[in-house]
Amino acid sequence: MELQLGLALPTPNMVKGFDLNNHGLDQLKEMGGLEAWNKAAGCFADKDCVKSKRSFEQAFGNFTEECRTKPLLLWSGQPNEEEDHKDQKKATFSTTDENDAEEDDQVVGWPPIKTWRKKIFQQQQQPRVGRAENNRVAENENGRSIYVKVKMEGVAITRKVDIKLYHSYQSLTNSLITMFAKDKKCDEDDYILTYQDKEGDWLIAGDIPWQ
Amino acid sequence: MNYFPDEVLEHVFDFITSHKDRNSVSLVCKSWHKIERYSRQRVFIGNCYSISPERLIARFPGLKSLTLKGKPHFADFNLVPHDWGGFVYPWIKALAKSRIGLEELRLKRMVVSDESLELLSKSFVNFKSLVLVSCEGFTTDGLAAIAANCRFLRELDLQENEVDDHRGHWLSCFPESCTSLISLNFACLRGEVNLGALERLVSRSPNLKSLRLNRAVPLDTLQKLLMRAPQLVDLGIGSYVHDPFSEVYNKLKIAIQRCKSIRSLSGFLEVAPHCMSAIYPICGNLTFLNLSYAPGLHGNKLMKLIQHCRKLQRLWILDCIGDKGLGVVALTCKELQELRVFPSDPFGAGNAAVTEEGLVLVSAGCPKLNSLLYFCQQMTNAALITVAKNCPNFIRFRLCILDPIKPDPVTNQPLDEGFGAIVQSCKGLKRLSLSGLLTDQVFLYIGMYAEQLEMLSIAFAADSDKGMLYVLNGCKKLRKLEIRDCPFGDAALLEDVGKYETMRSLWMSSCEVTLGGCKSVAEKMPSLNVEIIDECEQMEFNLDDKQKVDKMYLYRTLVGHRKDAPEYVSIL
Repeated sequence: MELQLGLALPTPNMVKGFDLNNHGLDQLKEMGGLEAWNKAAGCFADKDCVKSKRSFEQAFGNFTEECRTKPLLLWSGQPNEEEDHKDQKKATFSTTDENDAEEDDQVVGWPPIKTWRKKIFQQQQQPRVGRAENNRVAENENGRSIYVKVKMEGVAITRKVDIKLYHSYQSLTNSLITMFAKDKKCDEDDYILTYQDKEGDWLIAGDIPWQ
Repeated sequence: MNYFPDEVLEHVFDFITSHKDRNSVSLVCKSWHKIERYSRQRVFIGNCYSISPERLIARFPGLKSLTLKGKPHFADFNLVPHDWGGFVYPWIKALAKSRIGLEELRLKRMVVSDESLELLSKSFVNFKSLVLVSCEGFTTDGLAAIAANCRFLRELDLQENEVDDHRGHWLSCFPESCTSLISLNFACLRGEVNLGALERLVSRSPNLKSLRLNRAVPLDTLQKLLMRAPQLVDLGIGSYVHDPFSEVYNKLKIAIQRCKSIRSLSGFLEVAPHCMSAIYPICGNLTFLNLSYAPGLHGNKLMKLIQHCRKLQRLWILDCIGDKGLGVVALTCKELQELRVFPSDPFGAGNAAVTEEGLVLVSAGCPKLNSLLYFCQQMTNAALITVAKNCPNFIRFRLCILDPIKPDPVTNQPLDEGFGAIVQSCKGLKRLSLSGLLTDQVFLYIGMYAEQLEMLSIAFAADSDKGMLYVLNGCKKLRKLEIRDCPFGDAALLEDVGKYETMRSLWMSSCEVTLGGCKSVAEKMPSLNVEIIDECEQMEFNLDDKQKVDKMYLYRTLVGHRKDAPEYVSIL
């Protein structure tokens, strides 16, 4: 069974990147009617689940019946935290230990690692095309892999990604965009990550903590 | 007064190679200035906007080697928008029009177009060396032009550039007649290369000393290349994944053993940890080892590898080495001068595997340590004080605690005392990056003790303007100051604007300086360009002087406002 994620173009209100630190997140929330592209179920595939070719709807039907579902945790971040970030920068960091939602604590340009180096890591985390096509779930340092099908609007080919290798929506989005950049020239700022949860609702990725 | 004919002076000046010394020589008198400028072959320009290509050409007609740097350092961390500037094309165009016989071009953080590379390749008959570090804007087509047209090319060194890889056959563009290569580094390219062309190129390059491959070069090609180039001194392995029981692996082992001159090893963009034993025969001679792209290498396999490297002087590693692994480094690498520990999981939930303990171990075991870049989970004052005592020779000390305002976890105090000990003990300290919870006090120490400090990076620190003032007043040799997210405002900025003319540049982002403050600096100091970078275009709608400026970058210049700034940059 697979989860499916989608990268979709937003409505005319362009979002300036998926950076949780500027007002990007607020803009994201304000935007109505995102063109949701693909769906992902809210559950994680078991090693024993068998992939079968189905339409999206069927796949989700099966998800809820057969798979163990893990509810995604509610995000404890408040929108206000983003706006007040500059004034309360010290406050946000001190809660790193308890706060599950570390995503909203991440700052642009911190830690100070060269962008190029970050991209290398993302590259290394992408499974090669060959491996992605078969269903074996590879063992890696982080435990079992969870392969997810990803489609980008306007691109015919579906890709597969091991979401276990990512730690944040940001790194996942970046990686997906790098991956799809080969097929279609795209500006990082133009795409939104969406998924469908087990209820069938379209959600913008990022509302819920990564875990 | 000149007791010697010009030729004699010229000959004497030939022995003076450092840029600083040559600059000093040129200030002695008119005669020396003239002789120096005609004999100068190498010029370093730390900020490409501080001078124009025309003036460079006019002053140094004998120029052979030019080094240019473009974007400010914080551009490495995404703090500078994409098209801010740093274009090399105007420089190449001007040089091409002149009679300068350029032989070497070294660029850092600049935007390099294919057009520039093509023009470069066609304009200078004796062009020998191209080094691009952290640049962007070009594709493999530009590289093809360099390969095809630079008949005497010795060095093509691409370090950490953003290259649009068209998977063209740029390697095949080196003509058969090209046999002069000494250094070839294409590790940063992401695409496939023509392996046959690579093998043939290496075969006909008897002077090849440095070869750094990208991820697309498989093990069997590596083995063939090493067989053809046993004289290599510096090797960058691209992909290092194979079955340890295969024929290819055996051949590789033999090939590596023949390479008795290898002193520097890097790459491992893909690595199979169980194959590292093939490397052991050359480990004993290594002076530089870079494993910072190999997260797959850790634990016992890594430690075993390190234990073979007794002559190591520079080590770049990931933090999955752990404190324990750093202990092994401390025991083994007694010649160590430079250590860089990068995070393998920058955004993970507190999983950085090194702490202050690892650093203390290395400082105790490696007394020659003088250069450090250390990403860690936490740091204590006690540890820093110990490190300062053990290693008084630091020239570069860059500490990055992943949580940037974390206090000493044992005492819950700021890290002022720890860093204070470092600056007090390390009298030759030239570069310092701070992190952790820090008050104004640490800046008092820096101002008092860091007499040789040239570059300082500050983030999320200090309580008031006093912090910045201590530094500006105390550090006489300061050249570059970069600050983000600190409560420094106009009072600090305006206290001594003359100081900025003695420095290369000042960066302040997410601080308290206002538009009015910046305007004031610009007004008082016409020799500075004061740039306001305003991506959100807030300034357009609100020209209130009291408005806080998000990003300000100021630098001294002899040529006034630059003409190539994008819309969102205002030069006051």
